[in-house]
Amino acid sequence: MKAAPFEYHAPETLDEALALLAEFGDEAKVLAGGQSLVPILALRLSRFEHLIDLNRIPALRYVAATDGATRVGAMTIQAAIGRSEEVRRRVPLLADATARIGHFQIRNRGTIGGSVSHADPAAEYPAVAVTLDAEIDLASVRGTRTVSAADFFTGPLMTTAEPDEILTEIRFGNHVQGSAIAEMARRHGDFALAGAACTVELDAAERVRTLRLGLFGVASTPVRAQAAERAASGVAAGDLDPVAVGQAAVAGLSCVSDVHADAGYRQRVAGHLAGQVVARAVQEARAVQEARHG
Amino acid sequence: MAEHQVQATVNGQEVTAMVEPRLTLADFLRDRLRLTGTHLGCEHGVCGACTVLVDGAAIRSCLAFAVQMQGCSITTVEGLTPDSGELTDVQAAFRAEHGLQCGFCTPGFVVSATALLAERPDLTAAEVREGLSGNLCRCTGYQGIVRAVQSVIRSRQATGSGHEAEAGTAQAEAGAAQAEAGTARAAGVTGS
Amino acid sequence: MSGETAARYVGARVQRLEDPRMLTGRGHYIDDHVVPGMLHAAFVRSPVARGTVTALDVSEAREMPGVAAVFTMDDFRDVCQPTWSTITGRDPNALPLKPLADGDVRFAGDPIAIVVAESRYLAEDGAEVVDVDLDAQPPVLDIETGLRSGIVVHPEIGTNLAAHIDAPAEDEKIFADAAYVVTETVVQHRYVAVPMEGRGLVASWEPGRGELTIWAATQAPHEMRSYCARMLGLPEHRVRVVMGDVGGGFGQKMFVTREEMAVVLASYLLARPVRWIEDRAENLLAGGHARQEQATVSMAADAGGRLLAARVHHTENVGSYSTPGTGSVGGGVAAFFPGPYRLPVMSFTNQAVYTNTCGRCAYRGPWLFETVAREQMMDVVARATGMDPLELRRVNVLTDDDLPYTSPTGVRYERISPAKTLEQAAGLIDYDGFRREQAAARAAGRYLGLGLSLYVEPIQTRGVLGSEGAILRIEPTGEIMLIMGTASHGQSVETTMAQIVADELGCDPESIVFLQGDTAVTPWGPGTGGSKTAVIAAGAAHLAAGKMRDKLMRVAEHVLEVSASDLQLSGGRVHVKGDPEAGASFAKLAEAAYLNPAALPADIEPGLLVSARSVAPPSTLSNACHACTVEVDVHTGEVTILRYVVSEDCGRMINPMVVEGQIAGGVAQGVGGVLLEHMVYDAEGNPLTTTFMDYLLPTACEVPDIEYGHVVTPGDTAGGFKGMGEGGAIGSPPAVINAVADALAPLGARITGTPLGPPQVLAAIAAAAAGE
Repeated sequence: MKAAPFEYHAPETLDEALALLAEFGDEAKVLAGGQSLVPILALRLSRFEHLIDLNRIPALRYVAATDGATRVGAMTIQAAIGRSEEVRRRVPLLADATARIGHFQIRNRGTIGGSVSHADPAAEYPAVAVTLDAEIDLASVRGTRTVSAADFFTGPLMTTAEPDEILTEIRFGNHVQGSAIAEMARRHGDFALAGAACTVELDAAERVRTLRLGLFGVASTPVRAQAAERAASGVAAGDLDPVAVGQAAVAGLSCVSDVHADAGYRQRVAGHLAGQVVARAVQEARAVQEARHG
Repeated sequence: MAEHQVQATVNGQEVTAMVEPRLTLADFLRDRLRLTGTHLGCEHGVCGACTVLVDGAAIRSCLAFAVQMQGCSITTVEGLTPDSGELTDVQAAFRAEHGLQCGFCTPGFVVSATALLAERPDLTAAEVREGLSGNLCRCTGYQGIVRAVQSVIRSRQATGSGHEAEAGTAQAEAGAAQAEAGTARAAGVTGS
Repeated sequence: MSGETAARYVGARVQRLEDPRMLTGRGHYIDDHVVPGMLHAAFVRSPVARGTVTALDVSEAREMPGVAAVFTMDDFRDVCQPTWSTITGRDPNALPLKPLADGDVRFAGDPIAIVVAESRYLAEDGAEVVDVDLDAQPPVLDIETGLRSGIVVHPEIGTNLAAHIDAPAEDEKIFADAAYVVTETVVQHRYVAVPMEGRGLVASWEPGRGELTIWAATQAPHEMRSYCARMLGLPEHRVRVVMGDVGGGFGQKMFVTREEMAVVLASYLLARPVRWIEDRAENLLAGGHARQEQATVSMAADAGGRLLAARVHHTENVGSYSTPGTGSVGGGVAAFFPGPYRLPVMSFTNQAVYTNTCGRCAYRGPWLFETVAREQMMDVVARATGMDPLELRRVNVLTDDDLPYTSPTGVRYERISPAKTLEQAAGLIDYDGFRREQAAARAAGRYLGLGLSLYVEPIQTRGVLGSEGAILRIEPTGEIMLIMGTASHGQSVETTMAQIVADELGCDPESIVFLQGDTAVTPWGPGTGGSKTAVIAAGAAHLAAGKMRDKLMRVAEHVLEVSASDLQLSGGRVHVKGDPEAGASFAKLAEAAYLNPAALPADIEPGLLVSARSVAPPSTLSNACHACTVEVDVHTGEVTILRYVVSEDCGRMINPMVVEGQIAGGVAQGVGGVLLEHMVYDAEGNPLTTTFMDYLLPTACEVPDIEYGHVVTPGDTAGGFKGMGEGGAIGSPPAVINAVADALAPLGARITGTPLGPPQVLAAIAAAAAGE
């Protein structure tokens, strides 16, 4: 199981990388952690004449806090995100998601930019990005543009990134009050057959100010349960029925079937998990509100 | 395709080589450096038999290319074993707890367990299993492997030491003699 | 044979002699083996399940830099002679294997051409540019279509019926009059062996010497030797097969497969060493499949739950090219379906069907469907009668008083203890306590279940499998070498045989160097597998050690001038009883035996070399009971195993640690098989699970802690050992299946086989809710 031949480039700056990408076009592919790309190359499912390794660009590895947002460089290693105090405090959903990614050997090499660019609909980071309305920066020789996570994922392993663009940064808004993530995978560390991520913010009267509910592993991209979110808005936390919210989240959802699970299974389990994360996120939010307001 | 020069440290030794970009780190270690302890069980990053340490972090060497290793420090299972031939406490525990049968997955487990415990010296039983879930074994049902890691945790805590623990010494000494003899025997493929 | 040396090592948890090299990365597996000048092979394989090859152009591949040759069946035709397995004998119903596709392809993955190049990388590059035109045709993929459609997998055979059994019984009246009759169709899905190391070999034909040497990942070097010798028309002693460390086999490496034939033939034509290391995709695609079969079973029982009769109609999907023979296990399923119960009457029919899928290989307990089906049916009978499954088994199990017992299939049961293991397992799992816990959980809306599985395991020592050889040599400097025809690939034979010899010779097991797996040097052996090591290999080691012991005593008599009756062996010496100083080391005795032959008495042959062959008793059976508790999450269908208990009886154990390890590995394969592993083909015959992302092996999170109880009913061998290597895989699937069925019984869910992943569990619950 050996990859087809390719030329290798290891630029040390982003500009060098972008120039190479512009030069080689769709004969080139960027190499981040390699945990998704290298198996594809080894199985010869895809091949590229040129691999542009981003691992020598230190400027792309960082976790930086700004007012109201946390900026994560695309080449930040998943293990580093998992260990980051900043992420734990400011974007706990991202920290919780990290522990569910594969195994520690994968996380020692995999990157957030790689995972989000690869856009596996069952992966955790794309789901968190969609759930938190993250902003994604895409750079090319033509400049940098920002895309909302809501617009970024277009299909399984498909994004709006142009072939000559490199994902350089993802920005997450600060944590609100409660968040939770749950997934059903066949084995520990496997891609989710169904998963749900939720954040909740309550007002002083413990009514839902915002409820974000993302589902992953079920459709061709991570999806937000917008109808269920709207229905929950303004509802008193004590009156919220997480199970019903979960059911509403998957009503009419067109799920995928594959060798591991059929659409019906995914829909059913996603509904169940959605209810669970809503319950946990609401519980956490209520505790925060109670602590704050007594 | 153009070859690249790569300079790295492997098991403490400086290595310089010209490599084709698509040569995986695993194949480089095995075929070019003849460090055949790192095994190939799947070549697509699931089984963990190819686990090595790169700059101290356990990774799947089948998912990295040798050309990416410029300036890196790589440790294989051979490099974890002291020159004296004594077994490390992790290796001795695997032996004491019957954590191997055919031995093919074993180097990957030894490297992974060593790295896991270096990072997280205190794990619950469930956390041990989770930590080991990135390595596949087909012979042992993981019984002896889990017990081995748990026994290393306990004995390191008891002695208060980070790494080499007393508990493995007796087995390790026996192991040393066998390591020598075993190497000769294992070459049942003496060939002509 | 004396009883003077105490059993210091046999029966003890001796740490393994294999471990130090394996733990330090100094094992020597086939992928580690370098033969100077060796070339590397990769295969071109069919992308479709069935079709004719309308064009095959290898010219571009042949021209690629680094490619030494590309061979097709046309190149091999004249040199490849019909051959067959020595172990199983020539099967008149089976197709002699051709190494490569010959004008048509019969499963997705069917090897069409072999590319030989300077590296595997280059060989794969070459394989990509081999131009194959295939006229794809509709395949047969399942048993029903295989039997009913006109599509024939192997035109040379002319039928898809690979094998069949018709063994009816007079049972109409029994079924008509029985208080209870239950019928169920029990399904077992396709899952596979997956050793962590795939197949691999380096074949080197040297025409100047007229010798073929094969280094291989094999479980049976002598089998490979005779098979390949026959294939090339070479006398057997011109072929040498050498195995080093082998990374598991589970049956997949017992018999020579088509790719291995192609590699040998390539070397033969090139007169160069050719190496092939199977990668994981190939191993899952084409390395030999297993297990896909089902049976419609009817069982009749009386009012007290006693079994009266069984009818079994068994069908198997044996794929296209199986090794060995047709791949059918119908005979074994028939023979052992009655299991450890009193079953007076049984009728059995079987059909094994060829399909356009990967053929079968032997996989750990190939016939184990008999236990899988029977133990599920026992629980079906239990539910019909309202009896607890433990109670039903107690009523039917063969007790000591029943033995010896001959089953309706002619199997003679003796020296087994199924009733004892049933009770021990029930005690260990706290059966009654669990039932209380289960009831409380149900009241709280949680679904716990318990599954039992009781079985008898035949140790396969009939015919050619009934003898193993051992040569013991003490070298002139006193070191001990044990040379055996075994092919240990995880079974710890290096250690267990040393334990036996060490006890006989009064020395330390670590002083014994073990050599196996080299047909130039080692005695003929039937390979390692079939659970027979503790019978035939231990038997041979024991006999050889006894002979060496006698020889040492006689030489010692000469050297020490003391009668043997006053001597004992201990501490690696022969010495006067009670006086360790008054003696001679093995080195001293060896010196006398080798270096001063003229001084030896006339009736002592110089040197210290003995050899022996064991003969297995006519039949040896082991037995065990598995008990498993689970919790089923009825929202997600996930099954969590809470506890897993095995009460096993393999007679006297050479090394309990090794026994438990073998059980554990087998249990993991059964747990994985039921809950995770599934080899899937789509409707066109394309395989969907050819990577580890899709074919899911259990990890440390999915295999529970396994608890063991041991019962000892000695076998009819000198040591009383019986063998048990396949048992863990045999008993585990129904234990897990029965536990899930037990958990879901209150919901009315019917579980009738596998796979039993979360979607299947939810589907069973949904079907019950819908009143199906």
